[in-house]
Amino acid sequence: MGRLSPFQKIYLFLIAGFILGPFLPLIIQSFAFRWAWPDLLPGTWWLEQREKSPIPLAWDYVLSPYSRIWEATLNTVLIGGIVTAICLAICLPAAKVLARDRFRGKSLLEFGLSLPLIVPETAIGIALLMMFIRLGLAGTYTGIIIAHLIPTIPYMIRMLTSVWQGLGREFEEQAMILGASRWQVLRLVTLPMLMPGVVAGALFSFLVSTNIFLLTFLLGQGKIVTLPTLLFSKISGGQIDATGAGIALIVTVPGIAMLLISERFLREEAFGQGFGN
Amino acid sequence: MPPTTSPDARARLWRAAQLAPVLSVLVLLFGGALVLALAQSLGFAPWFGVNTFPDPSYFGSLWGSADFWVSLGLTLAYALAATGLALILGTALALALVRAFRGQRLYKYIYKLPLMIPYTVGIALAVLMLGNGGMVSRLAAFVGLIDSPGEFPRILNTHYGWGIIAVYVWKQTPFVALSVYAVLLGIGRDTSEAAAILGANRRQIFWRVTLPQILPGIVSAALICFAFNVGAFEAPFILGGGYPDTLPVVAWRYFNDADYTLQIQGMAVVVSIALVAGLILFAWLALYRWQERRMGRR
Repeated sequence: MGRLSPFQKIYLFLIAGFILGPFLPLIIQSFAFRWAWPDLLPGTWWLEQREKSPIPLAWDYVLSPYSRIWEATLNTVLIGGIVTAICLAICLPAAKVLARDRFRGKSLLEFGLSLPLIVPETAIGIALLMMFIRLGLAGTYTGIIIAHLIPTIPYMIRMLTSVWQGLGREFEEQAMILGASRWQVLRLVTLPMLMPGVVAGALFSFLVSTNIFLLTFLLGQGKIVTLPTLLFSKISGGQIDATGAGIALIVTVPGIAMLLISERFLREEAFGQGFGN
Repeated sequence: MPPTTSPDARARLWRAAQLAPVLSVLVLLFGGALVLALAQSLGFAPWFGVNTFPDPSYFGSLWGSADFWVSLGLTLAYALAATGLALILGTALALALVRAFRGQRLYKYIYKLPLMIPYTVGIALAVLMLGNGGMVSRLAAFVGLIDSPGEFPRILNTHYGWGIIAVYVWKQTPFVALSVYAVLLGIGRDTSEAAAILGANRRQIFWRVTLPQILPGIVSAALICFAFNVGAFEAPFILGGGYPDTLPVVAWRYFNDADYTLQIQGMAVVVSIALVAGLILFAWLALYRWQERRMGRR
């Protein structure tokens, strides 16, 4: 293993600062009551004013039902969960075919399944909204869930295909030769071997779904709020106050949780599979 | 022998059945949306009481206006600048990540954080850092460069798009790094070690050995980032310089107009965005194939 050059060491520090640095003022902002320019720290902290204020301040507000944060969190998790389940169900058989079979038009099919990665969100979102308005799906959970399938499918297919590739036919055939029934093969051989990849794919598509803003924003019609759309409505004026900062931090929490568990399950190789090669 | 009883045909049928669910979702949603957008942009909108299909006038008036081309230029410029920066920063990051260093485990958690959270958080951070009353402006005052927020040069809400580009780069550098890192893990160190033994220096190893091997990963990551940037809405909406907006914001504004002719015009914008993305994809893939052939890979 090569070592880092001095330049690379500095570079790693700079990138870490670029990525994490802005979170420090975000945290400070969420606790600020008065933070006048050009102070580097707030003049008055939120907690100092808490007892005096008749209205809920910053974190009191963020954690209260008025901010809709709990509603948004629940919606985000609910939609993400259902999208993941449906995505898994429809991608699992397709990924098996892609991993094991050779047939004409396969590369075209793979290309088509990657297409959602490069079709602009706005184009598909606005056109879908027109369609869903006619179908009565605009502003419904069903509409949002269906729309979320589009960006989650490509990643799920990639991850599941690589799992199926790792699980050769031999294992199942061995089990059958040894007298296992089809059901036993599925339960005792196929599923346990698929499990790590299924968990990874599910985590990732959950992550993608919870991060989607535009499709939810367009198809939710303001009736259904999720964490990204809630934050958007808070900062769409181009300003951010203490409550906005608090909401931004809450919106970050699921991502941090995913980060902590993903290291065990996510396969970095899944990102290395290219496009059109 | 009738085709349905041959094992080959049955296998094919079974294969089609397994592919059908995911394909039907994509074909219905993608195809449906695409056909509808195209039809409406060409004047088919019976729900507004309009049906002049095929009517190229919506495209005519859109493409005939100078503002459309300015919007397209801005959209492409922001997308290109951000993709280019993310590619360079991300590739350099990946090259550092494959080396051994202390705290590597922790670092691998840290750098992926932007991947895991929505763009809206990045936008909130940009507002907080780069706004006129933001942290960078406070730091500038702290070191005595400026005396009032008004003296701070506007970074956000200008047509230079620094804020938009900053958010894209912040979010996509980790994505590029992860993609390239995965490829680097895949190719291992054999070839670069061989080159080193044969006397190549670090620079030669990078340009002659490593880069050609990771190019496919870089290309696909770039494509995904660029296409996303072309179609992104929230960052230019909040951090952009206002009229003329980028194309996705234009489409959204048209779409929310009470005037239905503008709504139809909005569909022409949507189709234009899709066309741009399609053209870029096509050109990029053609270039990539040509490059591969030139290097004798296929």
